[in-house]
Amino acid sequence: MGSKSRDSRRARVAAPPPRTAPAPDAARAWVAAALAWVIPGGGHLWLGRRQKGLIFLVALPVMFAIGLWLEGRLAPFDSSDPLGVATAFADLGNGLPYLIAKVAGLGEGRVVAASFEYGNTFTIASGLLNMLVCLDAYDVALGRK
Amino acid sequence: MLLFAGFVSLIFAVLMKDEPPEQAKLGGILFASFVATAVALGWLLFPFPL
Repeated sequence: MGSKSRDSRRARVAAPPPRTAPAPDAARAWVAAALAWVIPGGGHLWLGRRQKGLIFLVALPVMFAIGLWLEGRLAPFDSSDPLGVATAFADLGNGLPYLIAKVAGLGEGRVVAASFEYGNTFTIASGLLNMLVCLDAYDVALGRK
Repeated sequence: MLLFAGFVSLIFAVLMKDEPPEQAKLGGILFASFVATAVALGWLLFPFPL
């Protein structure tokens, strides 16, 4: 019994260390997600997914621009209006187009315009869709997709 | 509404599928579903004026 346990200990010592899968590069995944937020589709392009990246690069900013054209409003971060904060957060999901529109003074919105709510729907939906694109870029970078 | 449904279908299809034929198929199904649901809800809400 004693020699048996000594043998198995020797076998364990002699065995090569178990191989571990290479750790996914978390930093690369975060960079891809951040890039996807700043430039819609940028994360996918950076990861070599050209077709997807180009479609996002065109479709999401166009959707956002249609929202502004329809006189939608980019909601301000006003803590007295929780729903407004949620809307502003969704708008922020558009990344660089959102920041450009803010700096250019676009997205003031005209509440009495017939297309006001349609415009809001476009800007909010494009921001939320870009957040999904960011998550997808993160997953792709980690090799989950 | 058609424009909105088209954009949302396009993004979802491209996100969920990798091959262009699969993307086109899913995009078409999503687009048709969005439009059909909107028309159906529109008719259902007809007796309830806001």
